[in-house]
Amino acid sequence: MKLAWEPEDEAFRAELVAFLDEHTPAEAGTRDFGSGGPVDEDIIPAWSRKWQAQLFDAGWMVPAFPPELGGRNCTPVQTLIYLEEVARRGVPRSLHFPGYAIVGPSLLEYGTEEQKQLVPAAVRGDTVWCIGMSEPNAGSDLAGLRTRATVHEDAFVVNGQKVWTSYAQVAQKCCLYVRTDPDAPKHKGISLLIVDMDTPGIDIRPLRHISGAAEFAEVFFDDVIVPRENLVGDLNDGWRLTQGSLAHERAGLWVEGVSRLEQSILSLIDLATRFGADRDPVVRREIAAAYENAASLRALGYKGFSSFAQGSSAPEHSYMKMASSEAAKAVFELGMKIQGAYGAVVDAERGDEDGRWIRGFFMSFANTIAGGTSEIQRNIIAQRILGLPRS
Amino acid sequence: MDFSLSEDQELLRDTARSLLANECPTTLLRDHMTDPSVADPLTAQLNEFVGLAGGDLTDLALFAEELGYVAAPGPFFANAAMFAPLLAAIGSELLDDVLEGTTTGTVAMAGSDGSWRVNGEARKTFVAEADRVEWIAVVGEGPTVRLTQGLPSRLIERVDTTRRLFDVDTSGASGETYEIDPDALTGAIESATVALSAEMVGTARRMFEMALQYAKERIQFDVPIGSFQAVQHKLADMSLALERATSAVQYAAMTLTEQDSDRHRATHVAKAAAGAAITRAAKDGIQIHGGIGFTWEHDLHLFIRRAYGSETWMGTTGYHHDRLADLIIT
Repeated sequence: MKLAWEPEDEAFRAELVAFLDEHTPAEAGTRDFGSGGPVDEDIIPAWSRKWQAQLFDAGWMVPAFPPELGGRNCTPVQTLIYLEEVARRGVPRSLHFPGYAIVGPSLLEYGTEEQKQLVPAAVRGDTVWCIGMSEPNAGSDLAGLRTRATVHEDAFVVNGQKVWTSYAQVAQKCCLYVRTDPDAPKHKGISLLIVDMDTPGIDIRPLRHISGAAEFAEVFFDDVIVPRENLVGDLNDGWRLTQGSLAHERAGLWVEGVSRLEQSILSLIDLATRFGADRDPVVRREIAAAYENAASLRALGYKGFSSFAQGSSAPEHSYMKMASSEAAKAVFELGMKIQGAYGAVVDAERGDEDGRWIRGFFMSFANTIAGGTSEIQRNIIAQRILGLPRS
Repeated sequence: MDFSLSEDQELLRDTARSLLANECPTTLLRDHMTDPSVADPLTAQLNEFVGLAGGDLTDLALFAEELGYVAAPGPFFANAAMFAPLLAAIGSELLDDVLEGTTTGTVAMAGSDGSWRVNGEARKTFVAEADRVEWIAVVGEGPTVRLTQGLPSRLIERVDTTRRLFDVDTSGASGETYEIDPDALTGAIESATVALSAEMVGTARRMFEMALQYAKERIQFDVPIGSFQAVQHKLADMSLALERATSAVQYAAMTLTEQDSDRHRATHVAKAAAGAAITRAAKDGIQIHGGIGFTWEHDLHLFIRRAYGSETWMGTTGYHHDRLADLIIT
C-alpha cells in the first residue's frame, strides 16, 4: 500500500500536462455542467474536431493504443493518470464518443481486415459514428430489439426503428444491431452491421431532450440495403459484440464521473458562500456528506484499479457508474435548494447562476438512465457480484 | 497509488481471521454480557499482536477490521489503537512496555458532551475498558496528557455490551503530566478514529454477509428471497456502502501512515463512511432477516448493538461531517 505513483509514471504525467498546457483549446474548458449539452447545429464544433485530430497525431488520443492509432503504447497506470489529468481539467478529448470508445475497439477485435481499415479515422474523429442499439421497445431489455435484417445472398435488407441514437444527424456511419434470426432465443438472433448513413431509406429525426438540446435522434430504416461484407463478426453473434468497448480504459473510466462530481461540489461550496448559506449547519452537513461520498468513491475507484493492474478482476468498478451518477444528482438538487426561491430560475437577469443547477440536475438523469439504469446496475451487482439468483 | 495488500499484510489478515474465528465465537460475546472476565484468554492471545501499535496504521487497521468482524470484546483496541499512539505522541517510555505487552492502558478525553475534543472537565466520559487496564491517559487543557492509575470509574450501561465504556472521575488524579503539541494530539486521535472506522467496516461486513447468506437460503413463495428485486437492491446498496467505507478507511490509514496533507479530511471521511455502512448494514440486515433477526436467540443483534455502540463513539457520522465541513468550507 502506498499513495505515490512511480517516478516513470509521474514523468508521463509531466509530459502530458506540458502538452495540455500548451495545446488545449480555450473552448474546451468552457462546457459547464449546467450548459445542457450542445445546440443542434453545434453538436461537434470545429474546434473539437481539430483538437481530437491534434491529440491523435501527438499520440494522446487513446494513449494505450499504438502510435498509428493515436496512442503511445502506455501502461494501464499511465492510462489512469491520463484520464485523471484530462478529467481534472474538464477537457473533453472528443465530443463524439462512439467512434474512438466503442466502434474502434470493437472493429479491432471482431472486424475483418477491411473493416479494421476504418479504425484510424474513427479514433481520429475524421469519421463520425453513431451506434444503433436502443429501440422504442428495447431499452433496459436491449436484447429484445426488433429492427429486422433479412439475409440475402450479397446484401441485408433492414427495416425498423432506433431511438436515442446519439450523433445520428451528423454521423457518416452507424454500427447497427439488427435481428437476423427472429426464431432464435432473443440473445442469439442478433447481428452487427456497418451502415453508411447516406444509404437510401434512412430517415433521421432529431430528438430533443429535457434541456432542449438535440444531440440524439430517432432513426427509421425502410428497406435499407446493406452489403453483405458490412457484417461484423459472425451472423447471429452480435450480442457478444455489444460488450465491446475500451477494455484497457474501462478500469479508469470512473475517474471522469468522480472528477465531475468533485468539481460540482467545489462549485456548490462557492454557491453556498455567495448565497450566505455557508454558515447554515444543515447546508454545511449536506455538503460535507457529498464530499464524503465523492472522496470515498475516489478511494474505491483506486482500490479497484489496483486489483485490475495486478490482473485480478475488479468488481469495485461495477459500483462506480451508479454511485457517482446518483451522487451527482443529489449535489445538483442541493444546489437548487441553496438558491431557495431562485432554484428553478433560468432567467439570466434574475440570478447569476443562470439556471445551471436545475439544468445540471435535469442532465444528471442522463447518467442514471443511459448505459444501464441505476436499477439495472443494482441488478448486475446483486446477481453478478453478490451471486444472488435471478428472479 | 497502490491499494493492494503486501504478502505480509495478507498473512497478517489471514492469521487474525482464523485466530478470531476460533477464539471469539458469538457464545463468548453472550457470556461476556454478564462476566467480562470470560474475554481474558482472548485478551491474552490478542496481546501477542500489540506490537502492531508500533508499526504502520495500515497494518493495525487491517487487524482492527478483523476485530470488528467478530465484535471482539476486551481492552486490546483501547490499548493498541488509542493508548499507544498517545504515548508515542508524548514520547513516553511507557510505550516500550505496551509494545512488549507488559502493561496496558486506555484514553480519557471526552467530557460531558461525549465529543473527543480537549476540555478541562474532571469527569471524563466514554472511556473504554477503564477497569481492565493498568493506566489511564487523561487528556486535559493545554493540551496536556497525564498518565494515571487507580481512578474511580463507573460503567455506562449501553446496548453494546461487547465494548464497555466508563465515566472516569479524574479529580483526584496524580501522575506525570506531559505537555503535548496540539498537532501531535490530533494525530493520535485521528489514528484511533481511523482504527475504529476499520473495526466498524469489519462489523458492517459481518452483518452484510449474514444478510446475504440468509437471502440465498430463506425460501418464501417457493423461491429464495434473494431472487426478489426489492431484496437484491437493498443488498446492492449495502454492499456499495460497505465497499465505499472499506476503501475510504484504507485510504485514510495510508494518509496517516505517510503523513499526507489529506489526512485530516480523510479521517473524517473514513469515520463518516464507516458510519453510513455500519448503520445501513444493521438496519437493512435486520429487515432482510425478518422476524428471526428480531429475536434474542439469533446472533445478528450482537453485531447491531456493536454497530450503534461504534457509530456513537468517538464522534457520530454527523459530528465528522461537521468537522469535515470546517475543513472544506472556509
